[in-house]
Amino acid sequence: MMFLPIAVILLSILALAKLSWRRQLMAPIFIAAIMIAVWQLMVTYVMSETNPTPGQTFGALVDIFTSDQLWKHSAASLYRVTWGFVLAGLFGIPLGLYVGWNTRGFEALNPIIQGLRPISPIAWIPFAILWFGIGDGAGVFLIFYASFFPITVGTMAAVRNISLVHQRSAQNFGLSGLELFRRVVLPASLPQIITSLRIALGVAWLVIVAAEMVGMDSGLGYLINDARNMGKRYDLVAATMILIGMIGIVLDFLVRKLENFDEVRWGYVNR
Amino acid sequence: MTSWVTKHSEEGSLFDSRKFTDWATVKEALIGRRVDAVFILAPMAMQLRADGVPIKIVYLGHRDGTAIVVGKDAPIENFGDLKGKRIAIPSRFANQNILMHRMMREWNMPFDSMKLLEVPPPEHPAALESGSIDGYIVGEPFAALSEMKGTGRVLYHTKDIWPNFISCVLVVREELIEEDRELVQELVDGIAKSGKWLDESHANRMEAAEITAANYYFQPRELLEYVLSNPPDRVKYTQLGPLKKDFDEIMELAFEIGVLSRRVEFEEYVDTSFVRPLEDIDWNMEHLPEATIQEVAQ
Repeated sequence: MMFLPIAVILLSILALAKLSWRRQLMAPIFIAAIMIAVWQLMVTYVMSETNPTPGQTFGALVDIFTSDQLWKHSAASLYRVTWGFVLAGLFGIPLGLYVGWNTRGFEALNPIIQGLRPISPIAWIPFAILWFGIGDGAGVFLIFYASFFPITVGTMAAVRNISLVHQRSAQNFGLSGLELFRRVVLPASLPQIITSLRIALGVAWLVIVAAEMVGMDSGLGYLINDARNMGKRYDLVAATMILIGMIGIVLDFLVRKLENFDEVRWGYVNR
Repeated sequence: MTSWVTKHSEEGSLFDSRKFTDWATVKEALIGRRVDAVFILAPMAMQLRADGVPIKIVYLGHRDGTAIVVGKDAPIENFGDLKGKRIAIPSRFANQNILMHRMMREWNMPFDSMKLLEVPPPEHPAALESGSIDGYIVGEPFAALSEMKGTGRVLYHTKDIWPNFISCVLVVREELIEEDRELVQELVDGIAKSGKWLDESHANRMEAAEITAANYYFQPRELLEYVLSNPPDRVKYTQLGPLKKDFDEIMELAFEIGVLSRRVEFEEYVDTSFVRPLEDIDWNMEHLPEATIQEVAQ
């Protein structure tokens, strides 16, 4: 019953923290403790001995943290996700803006976009290898593919949802072309674009396990694939899953910070 | 390729075989008791035992049938030329990985003298074609595939560098051995018989290719015919009993390169009691029911 000492440690940290923190954290920690307890009970009484217990998983997590594995694998995954995500943004946002603003462009491209969107990156693995080779290239492509569509579709929808008031006042001021884009279209759609980036980053992080199936020797996704092949190391699989979840929370937190910029709030309030 | 005959035995037991697309899933199906017997990578079976999973290797599926393939026109003439190259392996838990290390030792090359990359076998030919690797080592039919496409050539067949090479082994749960020895014996005998039949004549092999192409795998008949005949001893289906000296060598090297977490004794993970001389097996193909189209076989 390894989870009891962990719960005690967490609760004691909480006791030292401020009241407001305590109130905000109490409920999630309580739920997490219940989930861990259920996990332990399930492994003990219901499932086979193959399933790792919370204690074994925590042990594997400690192993990852205390070896050089943590930085090596996290950094490798973050590197690939960053590239895939940034490239998806560089291509997806302009395409989304164009397709969203131009009705004929929308009619021409939207069906293709919608048709490619539901294809799992895993299905693209053989082509990713053919086009980009084994290793980082193919992995970056798969992450790019996964995050490109949420960004493109989100940006497209954002532009198409710009209120008529904004469009008409822009026309009344005689804005057109690049000026129109810069002064009205982009700022008005920015909040939704940021939201789509947030979703896309989540998806990008979601696919690392698949993206790191192609000839990698590093990364958290690779670590899961490797641990699966390694005898009975499902504790290591579960520990890496938790690590992926934790880094996911941090990434989401960072993107949310973007929403607080003044420029982004233009869509909601007048400056 | 061993399964089309084995799915029916003379005793009338029906063996339901399934194809999986990666080893981890096969292993998980075995550990989770979803299947009773699997063909799995030899070092992977050892590591399962090292982790305390109650399994036994009872037989082999085939011998040889693995090749090192390099680019068609690559200036690679022998193993030494692979120095500094990028070579795909099916998995670091595959005996193909052990073989690469065995060869490096034989050629007095340090273990880091080439970059070994884990790539799923079906992707090997594409990876070679795209130029992202310089060569690969894999079980058939993925070596023959590049040869037939004209994109690669075989540098070595295992029969020439590590004769009677072991790739996959037949693993069963110990419970099954305790509960139903006869069933395991039936399965092993079936494989032995189909293997003997396959190695008897070229005509049998061609017939096997035809039946397999039509009913299982979705592999083209020409490819199977090529694998089974070019050269005739490219893959062998006899001498399938597990031998201590073969496995000890694999185990020692696997432990040395960190694929195995601890040494395991041959007796711990192998049960040789199902191996019997071919003469002792009732060898009568006439007893076999008509092959019917069923689930896709591994």
